[in-house]
Amino acid sequence: MNKTLKLIRLMLKMQFSMAGKSSSEKVGYLFLLLFSIPFSIMIFYAMDGIIGGLYDVLEPLNNQSFILGLLFISMFAVFTIVSIGSIISSFYFAEDIESFISLPYHPYQIMIGKSAAPFITLYITNIAILGPALLIYGFHSGAGVLYFLYALLIWLITPVLPFVLTAIVIMYLMRFLNLSKNKDRIKIFAGLLMFVFIIGFNIVLRLDTGSNQAGEDLGQLVMESNALLEIITALFPSAYLSSISLTQPDSLAGIFYLFLLFILTAGVFMIFLTAGQKLYFKGVLGLSAGSKNRWNEKKVTKQIKQKNILYMSWLKEMKVMLRTPTFFTQIIVQSLVFPVLFIVIVVFDTGNGGLSAGGLSTLLAGTEQKYIILAMLGFTVFALGINPASISSVSRDGKSWFNHLYLPIQPSTVIYSKIIAAFTINLLTLIVLSVIGIIFIDLPLSIVLVWFALSLTTNWVTSVIGTSLDLYMPNLNWTDEREIFKGRMIGILALIVEVVVFGIILLILWNVSFITGLWGTSASLLVILTGLTLTSHIILKKMIYTRYTAIAS
Amino acid sequence: MIEIANITKQFPGKTAVNDLSLQVNNGKIFGFLGPNGAGKSTTIKMMTGILPIDKGKITINGSNISTEPLKAKYKIGYVPDRSDVFLRLKGVEYLNFIADVYGVSTDMRKEKIDYLTKNFGIYEALNDHILTYSHGMRQKIVVCGVLLHEPEVWILDEPLTGLDPKSSFTLKEMMREHADKGKIVFFSTHVLEVVEQLCDEVAIINNGQIEFLGEMSEMKRQFKDDENLEKVFLELTQNE
Repeated sequence: MNKTLKLIRLMLKMQFSMAGKSSSEKVGYLFLLLFSIPFSIMIFYAMDGIIGGLYDVLEPLNNQSFILGLLFISMFAVFTIVSIGSIISSFYFAEDIESFISLPYHPYQIMIGKSAAPFITLYITNIAILGPALLIYGFHSGAGVLYFLYALLIWLITPVLPFVLTAIVIMYLMRFLNLSKNKDRIKIFAGLLMFVFIIGFNIVLRLDTGSNQAGEDLGQLVMESNALLEIITALFPSAYLSSISLTQPDSLAGIFYLFLLFILTAGVFMIFLTAGQKLYFKGVLGLSAGSKNRWNEKKVTKQIKQKNILYMSWLKEMKVMLRTPTFFTQIIVQSLVFPVLFIVIVVFDTGNGGLSAGGLSTLLAGTEQKYIILAMLGFTVFALGINPASISSVSRDGKSWFNHLYLPIQPSTVIYSKIIAAFTINLLTLIVLSVIGIIFIDLPLSIVLVWFALSLTTNWVTSVIGTSLDLYMPNLNWTDEREIFKGRMIGILALIVEVVVFGIILLILWNVSFITGLWGTSASLLVILTGLTLTSHIILKKMIYTRYTAIAS
Repeated sequence: MIEIANITKQFPGKTAVNDLSLQVNNGKIFGFLGPNGAGKSTTIKMMTGILPIDKGKITINGSNISTEPLKAKYKIGYVPDRSDVFLRLKGVEYLNFIADVYGVSTDMRKEKIDYLTKNFGIYEALNDHILTYSHGMRQKIVVCGVLLHEPEVWILDEPLTGLDPKSSFTLKEMMREHADKGKIVFFSTHVLEVVEQLCDEVAIINNGQIEFLGEMSEMKRQFKDDENLEKVFLELTQNE
């Protein structure tokens, strides 16, 4: 046991240590913490609305235990979803796994060590959602001390079951389906799953019109499908036990169900240990061997062809972004999140005001085209500014940056291939946005076409700005690709530069009265943006000259 | 011909290479020998354009690496000590990319890729990602890439580390062949034995300075007389 504790401590230290983190990264974490405060207050009020609404409807019928049942079932689902990714990456894909296997530990001990960090992260979700929800329920039901004591114990134990069950299933799959052979594909798939999850979550948020109303609606639904919910709760014994125990904390049944919950959790935990001992290593071993493609001579010889070096460098950049899971999720999926979220906001906001499709159409119909095109371009700057393809251009190469230095390629070829790659990814965002414009908001085709053409120059300039910034302060010394995107101020910096530069231009055009109409405004924009493109190139040229060879040393 | 004239490289608090000069003629295998941290890799990085030179100059067959970098780099084929490059590319994609960089024609690269990869036994791994290669295989694919354009000067940084005996043998054969065609092979190592087997000429570097420069037979003679050299020699043999 002592040895296992030591292992847990070591693994936690490695995961959460601040050592070697740059001060800007620490500032990044601080900002994250500060931002989370208003966010949690918002969540708290939303939950208070939902739970309060439900309570008002269900309490007269003495059905309030369903609130808890529902809460525990949803928590079970949330914990399971969050666990999938963290268990796979910690158990199977962490780089350090091989160095632990050779140590004299049982498989289950290493597995427990590997569980520590993802399990602790689960408690962050637990603190953010389940904790306040139980408190809110307690306040609404006017519960006594015993309720809060039970709630604390149950709160502590709730994440265990979903985590452990998910781990067992994953270990089983890894062992018998040999999924781990396709390491990269699984990671990319997980990234896409997360994307779908975020979008799905937003659709759910959009569907309600107010949390209190939603609570009452849900209450009605529960009353109508009483039996159904009972069946569902029965499928999640832990949810059933927890909710019964918390509704009758001062009865004998309450303590009995609490006791049962602990027994159940302990039992499943034992199964988890056994599964770890038997399955864990078998899934891990041979992981680094990777998958072998079937040998096909014709296919290979067909690829051997002379091509333009700029094209080949661009292709290499694109392949690296598509094939590296972290780059895929952080760059390609990210570039889709913003436009797709925009669709969700526009389509699922069913009212006629604000950002709904109807509201936007009415708003646009009554606005002069000059302002429409200026506003759309401003919006594009934001959409493209958040995209991390350009600000990781140089950093993506990491320690192998030096390879560019001994190869006889012009520095400008290397940098332009990266800018074109960032441009290509942003193009995806632009295409999705134009589809939204034409199909959902009913924008005139002429405006969309003009906007698209102007956005191409905007796209180019933002790609140049991002790449220049990364050339100026790259992060080449990473061991994990995620370090390129985590806690670096460069993303915000790029956005600030872009917002300031484009903001001034748009603001001036907005206020100048002699430029009017779609064509006048577009022509002026085109002239200014062309000038901006040329200026950015002069700066970039200078940057390449001074920074290209210097950054590796 | 490689001409290195009075080069110096300083890092904060340390002079890695100090006023170093040497010359390597065509058709020679040149061994650059020295213990860990002697300045071998720093010198090679300056020769290949990876590190800027603080003082002095380096020319590769008449092209100055600082003032005409591209011209010089076309003449060089460099095998770095770390071969974990372009891991997400497939073997064949990597070779294609390198061939494009050096402007190797389609026919030529087909012939070369076939010959080199079959010789090294990695032909059938060409369609796999380099990520799945072992250390030795990665080293081999880099060597294949470098030889695609038949470089006038072949520079290798610790090339034999991690290779199995058979591949080691193949690589040494290729180095000999390359030199016999009248080209230069320049490689660094901290293993004395390799130098003895392969080299026409050798330089021993220690603390950023040349301790010895000359032919192999001469080196052995001098080891006995020169106390300082003997110390380096001891360090080198202990490193094995």
